[in-house]
Amino acid sequence: MKKAPLVIIPLVMFSLLVVFLFKGLFSDPRALDSQVKGKLLPPFSLPDLMQPELIYEPADLKGEVTILNVWGVWCVTCAVEMPYLTQLKEEENVRIVGLYFDQDLDPDFGTKTLTRVQQEVTDMLSRYGNPYAFNIFDVYRDTSLDLGVTGAPEHFVIDAHGIIRMHHIGDINERVWSSKIGPLYRALVAEAKQNREGGE
Amino acid sequence: MRSTLFFLLLFMCAASFAAEDNFSFDTPEQRAQFLSLTSELRCPMCQNQNIADSDAMIAHDMRRKVYTLLKQGKSEQDVIDYMKARYGDFVHYKPPITIATFWLWAAPVLFVLLAFIFIVRRKKNEKTEDFQAKLAKADALLEQEKE
Repeated sequence: MKKAPLVIIPLVMFSLLVVFLFKGLFSDPRALDSQVKGKLLPPFSLPDLMQPELIYEPADLKGEVTILNVWGVWCVTCAVEMPYLTQLKEEENVRIVGLYFDQDLDPDFGTKTLTRVQQEVTDMLSRYGNPYAFNIFDVYRDTSLDLGVTGAPEHFVIDAHGIIRMHHIGDINERVWSSKIGPLYRALVAEAKQNREGGE
Repeated sequence: MRSTLFFLLLFMCAASFAAEDNFSFDTPEQRAQFLSLTSELRCPMCQNQNIADSDAMIAHDMRRKVYTLLKQGKSEQDVIDYMKARYGDFVHYKPPITIATFWLWAAPVLFVLLAFIFIVRRKKNEKTEDFQAKLAKADALLEQEKE
């Protein structure tokens, strides 16, 4: 009388295992839960890459929807995405701010001079296009650590209130922009515009 | 020729050691703390290495951060919490017990228990069945003898 349900048990367990493993085939082991999503930008006070006497703080990113692009000249993928980012800036008027950090610059020893870093950046931007409104120089890479950056390129979509709405690891290309970042960006821009008009 | 090669190899070996970070600690305990922390914190970039092993820049930066935090007098737990606040539970090799991870420990125990109950039950059923069958057989024999 109880025989039939008992026979089914191994089958059910096997099916569950198959479903679990099948899902595993499509999961991305590198996907990390961002800890900063939905939070305000961490406090920082960092110089402009080209004019070090200019100091930026999180408040400087407020007021406009911004894409914060973590990059460096040593990063190959950054060079690859640069023309597309430039195109976004020109065609959609996207505000992209760079968070620049240097690999060779050991903060404790300072083997590389600032002028050399600036020269490398200028060279690269003149070759691939300059998508940046300005570049923040993360000298000690502390802010990158606070943001949970694991490498470059990485992108943060920041709304007009300075809240991080998305953390995208990897480059921005046409596919990523049209399916993932673009819709959110446009929604945030529309929201910011509405708020501004509502405030007046 | 052989001795030149020998010395060349010797120098290469020295160079590879020189690539490690130089950190100086106030106390031997602090050094021990640093070593244990860097071995149990996981590098977010190269996922199967701890930050002591990894040569990725992020691992380098994290080691430096662990060092500065320890120097500031932070406890081991403070450092772990600091890293977790930035990189999530992922960054620590000892996962916390949550509803999702609870099953990692519970599932094997549960499986053994269930299997045990299953076996015991089946044994019992077999025995009673045997007993019933034997009883029936005996009854049949008795019936036969009566005839």
